[in-house]
Amino acid sequence: MTGEHITQEQADEFAIGSLEPASEHAVTVHLAECPACRDIVRDSERLAARFAMSSPLRRPPSHLKDRVLAAAGIRRPGPLRRVAGYARTAAGIAAVFVAVAAFTGMVWMRGEMSGLRDDDERLQRKIDEALSQEVEIAALTRKLDDQEKEAARLADAATGDQDLIVALLSNNTRIADVVPAAEDSTSIGRLVWDGDQKRVWFVASDLPQRPAGETYQLWVNSGGKYYSLGTFAADPDGFARHQTIVPEGITSYDTAVVTIERAGGSPIRQGPTVFLVYDLSRLKD
Amino acid sequence: MGPQGNPETAGIRNVGRTVVFARPAEAELASRADWPDEALMLAIASRDELAFAVLYDRYVDLVYSASFRILADAGLAEDTSQDVFVRLWRRPEAFIADRGRFLSWLMSVTRNRAVDELRARGRRRRREGGPLGEPDEAAEPLFATHPPDPQSTAELHEEQLAVRTALRDLPGEQKTALELAYFGGFTQQEIAARLHEPLGTVKTRIRLGMQKLRKSLEVRG
Ligand SMILES: [Zn+2]
Repeated sequence: MTGEHITQEQADEFAIGSLEPASEHAVTVHLAECPACRDIVRDSERLAARFAMSSPLRRPPSHLKDRVLAAAGIRRPGPLRRVAGYARTAAGIAAVFVAVAAFTGMVWMRGEMSGLRDDDERLQRKIDEALSQEVEIAALTRKLDDQEKEAARLADAATGDQDLIVALLSNNTRIADVVPAAEDSTSIGRLVWDGDQKRVWFVASDLPQRPAGETYQLWVNSGGKYYSLGTFAADPDGFARHQTIVPEGITSYDTAVVTIERAGGSPIRQGPTVFLVYDLSRLKD
Repeated sequence: MGPQGNPETAGIRNVGRTVVFARPAEAELASRADWPDEALMLAIASRDELAFAVLYDRYVDLVYSASFRILADAGLAEDTSQDVFVRLWRRPEAFIADRGRFLSWLMSVTRNRAVDELRARGRRRRREGGPLGEPDEAAEPLFATHPPDPQSTAELHEEQLAVRTALRDLPGEQKTALELAYFGGFTQQEIAARLHEPLGTVKTRIRLGMQKLRKSLEVRG
């Protein structure tokens, strides 16, 4: 089946769940590598989902919500935390900042920031505000965790984030979600690609440090070819922040991966994949 | 979408608004109630607990109802619903990677999880009546007076109505085949054995059933 495309009938059978296990597995394997068939199956699954909705609506017992929140590790009652889980470690703050900006940006921010880049004074004010927000979080973190030195270091670092913030505001910037390849990984990250400034940032949290002799290496695939965007390491808190420039000769990328390579970096991609990059902007209608 | 009528308050302020801790939680919750599913999932990927709460309120009835239909057991339906939502919180990127429509993804995760449970317990429907039992309209324990998200609840009801109408137009044997597969967790060979029909007949019923359903839901929008 790997080579053969999926028919509408198979897609329907797959979605409604009537295929025998072996055929179902074959379809799953094929879908992993065939976007065209994924589209067909997605349509069938949409139909199956509507079929699922034919069931009489039942309201679950009210205690279920508490159970779910507890099982998910979310405290209740009281004001729910926003991104406090990450903000508690100073190292995670920049990641939170990027994550939130990425999300917010996709949903509505960047459209409305259009044109602002031409207006230096307003842009500068916005940047200052953003930086002060970040310092504010640093101060809060200090209060929470009494990491005064860390907070001060972060306040310093924040002023160095100006380029990144400009990138986040730009309409010509792509912000992609970074998904760990391993099922059990808790890493979260973002790839920020700024076509105007010709710069790229990669930020991730919960990333294990590599043993001596190994390094993380970032690659982008453009036109079917992988280009190295350099190597980087995670700090003892598991935080990584890698900044580089867009390689000569490419203006965009199709996919990106982070691999583990030998220290110093590899000329070609060959090590195991740690991260895959998905472009969040495609979720936007 | 949402509360961004005034461009002055948009932009980078929104970044701060999500991160800075001073805002009252209720206002945050209210603002998220307007967000489409996909936006909530992106927020969840950034560990936004309020977004998770909103998404839970929006879909828990649907997830629970489908689980109950498959498992015919309130306790197991609760376990399945919990599992689905906890997974959604822990690995939202599974959805982001999938890039489909959120609701399809959610229902497909729910169905698969419930059917796994069903198979793991090695038991089939215990309900009386037909092989699956018709949805019992009279016994339907419907919404309490205060649904959390009235707009999307209304949309769900509308969609439900459309689907039920479409199902009513389906020949009984096609509908039964689809229900045995989806809610009963039976493969087509198992359905054939159960109904004492040739496999080809069952396949045809499923194929025609899906085709008809697709057509009539398209017509109705
Ligand atoms: Zn294919």
